[in-house]
Amino acid sequence: MSSNEILDMLRGILYTSGVFNFQFNLIIMWLIGSFFMYLAIAKKYEPLLLLPIGFGIFIVNFPLVPLMGYSNGHAHLLEVFYHYGLEWEVIPCVIFLGLGAMTDFGPLIANPKTLIVGAGAQLGVFVTFTGTILAGFTLKEAASVGIIGGADGPTTIYLTQHLAPQLLGANALAAYSYMAMVPLIQPAIMKLMTNDKERRIKMKQLRPVSRQEKILFPLVTAAIIALLVPSVVPLMGMFMFGNLMKESGVVARLTDTAQNALMNIMTIFLGVSVGATMYADNFLSWKPLYIFSLGLVDFAVCTLGGILTVKIMNLFLKEKINPLIGSAGVSAVPMAARVSQVEGLKYDKTNHLLMHAVGPNLAGVIGSAAAAGMFIAMFD
Amino acid sequence: MKKYIPALIFLLFIPGFLQAEEFLGITVPPDSQTVSSSDDRLEVKTGLSHDAVLAYYEKELKNLGDIKYREWSDQTYIEDDGNRPWHSITISKGDNQTETTVIISRDSWTWIIGTLILRFVGVFVVLLVLFAGMKIYGLIIRSIVKPAATK
Repeated sequence: MSSNEILDMLRGILYTSGVFNFQFNLIIMWLIGSFFMYLAIAKKYEPLLLLPIGFGIFIVNFPLVPLMGYSNGHAHLLEVFYHYGLEWEVIPCVIFLGLGAMTDFGPLIANPKTLIVGAGAQLGVFVTFTGTILAGFTLKEAASVGIIGGADGPTTIYLTQHLAPQLLGANALAAYSYMAMVPLIQPAIMKLMTNDKERRIKMKQLRPVSRQEKILFPLVTAAIIALLVPSVVPLMGMFMFGNLMKESGVVARLTDTAQNALMNIMTIFLGVSVGATMYADNFLSWKPLYIFSLGLVDFAVCTLGGILTVKIMNLFLKEKINPLIGSAGVSAVPMAARVSQVEGLKYDKTNHLLMHAVGPNLAGVIGSAAAAGMFIAMFD
Repeated sequence: MKKYIPALIFLLFIPGFLQAEEFLGITVPPDSQTVSSSDDRLEVKTGLSHDAVLAYYEKELKNLGDIKYREWSDQTYIEDDGNRPWHSITISKGDNQTETTVIISRDSWTWIIGTLILRFVGVFVVLLVLFAGMKIYGLIIRSIVKPAATK
């Protein structure tokens, strides 16, 4: 073997290594990925999603890694997850199936007027839309950023993939980060928007809900959503199907799979492939910064909208609603409901708001899906 | 020589004749006469038919994304969702096939705020209908289940 051949071989090894193709902006992405992994591991903020998202960001930002893209006509590993899972809009819908199989709609059925709170809490979605346009985003991008305030990860991903797939990574990350930070964001707004007397309002115990009512709920809801906002039926239909499986009680094995194995598999694929969309070249710009700051405003206004809706409803209701449960209308199940419970107990140790807050919390899920449907209808 | 001067002047200005007039970054149909004009809106009349004007814009906008065409009974509405300086082109379908009115307008905040309020109200409507549906089926179920339980 000649020295030229050896040099040529060494050069070949060097040129195909990551070291030779290194760019300094990749370091920033490693830090961003590591930060989200830190939040998941050390702070336990939405670890099921922030850990795979953080790792996805980290691993995809190494030079020449065959993870996202195509070689010789073959899709790389994460490209396959992304293409079939997210571009085809499969994963958010299957996750909704699992969520439906985990959800007990009893508190919402027992107190259906809390549905209105779920609608009021979408205020931020529409306010942020305006702010996003002022920041120079297109209408479709503005809609996908606005929905972050709905605090519903799968809905945010579904709408973003539909309208502005280029923002998928930033939007998903903002949505899950702020959902994890609900206990930090909401209490100050709840305190600001309510007085001491309102925070001490005790609500009547919820009536028991029959099995028949629980079985009919997903069918009625699916029918109404399908008639009024058909564009979100892939999401809501799966959500209601998951719930029907649970409430019917006759498909325990399927329900168990939807709640656990299927949900976990989808969560892994979702997290890693969302993270993998964030390359340094397309992520390091002014847009993600705007998305994160507007997302925070969005969450705050949605919280405010929910509380305000309860206060307006109280003007007309004989049995008053504690406005602290209004903040739960932002969705973020069950974190936002827990925040209402914790805040309520601060003012009255005997005032347990958790079950009352679950109603607006679930209404928020339906409300954010309805808002997403309104946006899809605007552009399709 | 003198008789060639007008022809030479004409040739000199040909590029100007060929270059279509633009408003808010979009071309105005050829041979059109301005009816009214402001910074945000331009209304022109053209001798082309509605279909010819539509074909003209379809060709002009062929390579642009985020463009939506809506066919209404009396006009075709072309809308931009891509944050361009112009927001809409309205091509009227007049009875007279030899004269068509085209309106090009800028994105207006009235439209944005209007559509947002409507859609926010829409979310309330969806949940109110669901609320009504739940009330009705709840009443029916409870009236059926209770007597059954007492038996």
